Amino acid sequence: MNMKTRIIALLAVAVLAGCATTQRTSTYPPTGDQGVEQPTPEPRGQSSQLPERNTPEVSRGETAPAGPMPPRSADEASSPAVRSLLGRADTLARNGNMDMAASTLERALDLEPRNPFIYQRLAAVKLAQGQPGQAEAMARKSNSVGGNNPFVRADNWQLIAEARRTAGDSQGASEAASRAENYHRTSLQLSR
Amino acid sequence: MARKTPKPRRPARRPAKKRGGKPRRGFIRRLLPYVFLLFCLGAVVVAAYAVYLDGEVRTQFEGTRWTLPAKVYAAPLELYAGLDLSREQIADRLKRQGYRSASTTDKAGTYEVVGGYLDIHTRPFSFWDGDQADREIRLGFDNTGVASLRALDGNGDLALIRLDPLMIGSIYPTQGEDRILVKLGEVPPMLPAGLITVEDRDFLHHWGVSPKSILRAAVANLRAGHVVQGGSTITQQLVKNFYLNNQQTLVRKAKEALMAILLDAHYSKPEILEAYLNEVYLGQDGGRAIHGFGLASYFYFQKPLEELQPNEIALLVAMVKGPSYYDPRRNPERAKTRRNLVLDMFHDAGFLDDEGWTTAKKADLGVTARSTRSTSQYPAFIDLVRRQLHGQYADEDLTEDGLRIFTTLDPSVQADTEARVNQGLADLERSRGIKADSLQSAAVVTSVEGGRVLALVGGRDAGYAGFNRALDARRPIGSLIKPVVYLTALAEPSKYNVITPLDDSPLAVKLANGDTWRPQNYSKTSHGRAVPLHYALTHSYNLATARLALDVGIPNVIDTLKKLGYTGDPLSVPSLSLGAVDMAPMQVAQIYNTLAGGGYYTPLLAIRDVTTRDGEPLNRYPLQIKRVLDEAPVYLTDWIMQRVARFGTGASMYKVLPDRLNLAGKTGTTDDLRDSWFAGFGANRLAVVWVGRDDNQPAQLTGATGALQLWTRIMSDVGPRGMMNVPPEDVVEVPLRMRFDPRGGASTGDGDLYQYAQSCGGATDVPFIRGYVPDGLSGCDSDIMSENAARDRQQQQQQREQDEGNWLQRIFR
Repeated sequence: MNMKTRIIALLAVAVLAGCATTQRTSTYPPTGDQGVEQPTPEPRGQSSQLPERNTPEVSRGETAPAGPMPPRSADEASSPAVRSLLGRADTLARNGNMDMAASTLERALDLEPRNPFIYQRLAAVKLAQGQPGQAEAMARKSNSVGGNNPFVRADNWQLIAEARRTAGDSQGASEAASRAENYHRTSLQLSR
Repeated sequence: MARKTPKPRRPARRPAKKRGGKPRRGFIRRLLPYVFLLFCLGAVVVAAYAVYLDGEVRTQFEGTRWTLPAKVYAAPLELYAGLDLSREQIADRLKRQGYRSASTTDKAGTYEVVGGYLDIHTRPFSFWDGDQADREIRLGFDNTGVASLRALDGNGDLALIRLDPLMIGSIYPTQGEDRILVKLGEVPPMLPAGLITVEDRDFLHHWGVSPKSILRAAVANLRAGHVVQGGSTITQQLVKNFYLNNQQTLVRKAKEALMAILLDAHYSKPEILEAYLNEVYLGQDGGRAIHGFGLASYFYFQKPLEELQPNEIALLVAMVKGPSYYDPRRNPERAKTRRNLVLDMFHDAGFLDDEGWTTAKKADLGVTARSTRSTSQYPAFIDLVRRQLHGQYADEDLTEDGLRIFTTLDPSVQADTEARVNQGLADLERSRGIKADSLQSAAVVTSVEGGRVLALVGGRDAGYAGFNRALDARRPIGSLIKPVVYLTALAEPSKYNVITPLDDSPLAVKLANGDTWRPQNYSKTSHGRAVPLHYALTHSYNLATARLALDVGIPNVIDTLKKLGYTGDPLSVPSLSLGAVDMAPMQVAQIYNTLAGGGYYTPLLAIRDVTTRDGEPLNRYPLQIKRVLDEAPVYLTDWIMQRVARFGTGASMYKVLPDRLNLAGKTGTTDDLRDSWFAGFGANRLAVVWVGRDDNQPAQLTGATGALQLWTRIMSDVGPRGMMNVPPEDVVEVPLRMRFDPRGGASTGDGDLYQYAQSCGGATDVPFIRGYVPDGLSGCDSDIMSENAARDRQQQQQQREQDEGNWLQRIFR
């Protein structure tokens, strides 16, 4: 698979997956004992990579999303206006018009400046434009504005992994990939 | 009248002529061939001249006829359900853009208030990303703004739509011509018809010149005793505007007539008329000459030619006769009289019916307000646009090729900011007994994510294209630098956290030049040796900050400053820690925008896209972000800056702004109260304000009493959203009860500054970088903080006892 096909495939998976919640559940079917009622979800994904040296018992941050379910997709997180711009940007990106896709996403960002899904799509577009540095920056920004949302973070780290691979940083890429895997597991737990 | 000296001389010459008039026959016969030769020669010369003129006429007419200045557009208003603008605010915006309130919205550029709804027929527009057709839409409202958007035209549903952007200026050469080209087929038919009626009735039939008109004009002028009518045809007027200077000489008149005939012979009447529509001079705006009806329509009515009403068309036609004499802004009465005369002519000629005629005559002039001395309504912002374009485009590209430049300016934010600056300065002068008109100010407003410059105010009189203080007034920034010092420290989590005790005791530093630097607190008192780090920044303590900066190293502070986006090269001196570095408000905005963006640097941009005049994309200015600092220390710094706004030197903002909004900011005051600064932000908007005097005399204002007062009002207009305070991955929050009191506090030895307070009540969530939460912050009864404070006191003591030379060594290592 050459670079371009890989990037397009990634765009399709990591970004368009956000278009529909149903699509995501079918792509990543939940595993494990389904009939059993789960206790309050306790994602531990990130704590495994972030060693807590001193006082783990007071660091509430790592057990954070115990409250309402964080948005899993752009559809859940966005207003109709932003959804329509995202739809347009996706079409433009699928047709290979990355400049206009980016421009359309920036319009969306003006409307919802802290919507992590917009930054995530921008990251994918930057990757497709052959700008892995910008792609990683956008994906990290998406993490930053998205708060502790494992759905967003799993896709972002996947994008970062791909960006680093593109930039020739294979070690960084596999670190990012394992972070993506951890967040992905957390998000699966949450989804149940 | 008294000077008719040449006349008496004439008779004296006559005899000579008579002598020549009676020659001998043979002489005449001999002379004839010469006369004929001379005649032929003359004919050849005239013919050659005509051929030459013909070439000139044709090259000019067929070549690139006009140089077209670049057009600069504001950001378009996006309309969608969820937009937080009221019906009145949107209607205001529509009016500003020349939309007409009408009883039906069947034409583009109209709107109507129906019940609780606002119906708008938008204009078609070619954006940088493609064409947008005109649409008829209906907006519904609730008390937060736009609640619904739907299409009324059956052309499909809409989730959002852009209004055509406001044209905010053009980039033309100094003393240049500005115009917008129009096509004859696209202008309202009343315009060409009216022009012919008023200026040149025989236009369609004459050969470029009209002896009949000249005769008619001569008779009229003779009757009146002075010039009341010109005999020039439209073709002659075009020739005069197009090819010739304005000298009133016979030779020029003859040349004009000859060229008019040539032009008429080569080109069709519609071609000539179209050229005329685009060439005719219709006013002056400072150094800018308004040419053609296309631009005049925007200049006087702020809308496209297609949307002009009969009274407006008549006014423009009326002005052809003397654009400055009939200037509707300066001489409204005179302009109205002539407009009504023109309307009568329209009516007599039969293309304005009785009803239209009476309505039009009753209508007021309809011109939009515009500052007469300005070359543009937004000189400071256009200045920024020019500078950002500089280096990418040659001057000729900008002034000749008709480029379209789409900018980030938000006209509402700009208008509000200008008004707040003007009103704010006047209020400050009045309430604080400062001499009227002595203060100056500059302000920048940006969108935090995306780094777009939404408004730029370069001075008190924003319409005046003078000194652009927002870009060029470099002043010491005072305490605005402090967050950079604290950020530098917090990036070393093993040494500093937000509750680290700092030493605020007096300080003397021997400088390289032999002087001793002795900074002082604003209150001239010390606050002891164990002021919590966050507290020292919240209350802008100089001594604690200076010691902290020396401890982390001035070069490291400079390094952070550069990471945040400062491009200068400040002197590495201890006083840098208290703001001894000059910056323009725009540079401060860049630095604070990175703080607001969580450590992601985004270059501040005034331009989004540039296209050719036909809409072909030339240059995008895409969003660029760069992760320049770890998010965690930036989060901690922003957290403290929210405390500045909540409890510290910025707290008076909540007298105006709603209490629920989490905003962050910092005051800046320089020596002798010369400069007053405030820089602050919410989740979506950032503003930087400077207040001071152009002559650099003391302005008598601190950051809080001066700039903050303006900032607060600007911020209240621009729809700030509060900061969300979602900690980044490697920040944890610990609930603590804060107990520092600067009057007693740690200096008296009972420094129990913090208590872990999960079950104690009255707690604040204090952020720490993961892995660096101080030991023992785990129970209500813990006295770990007092131990920490004691330990740090001991260290500070040791440091203080060290030779002062060591300070220097550390600074300049």
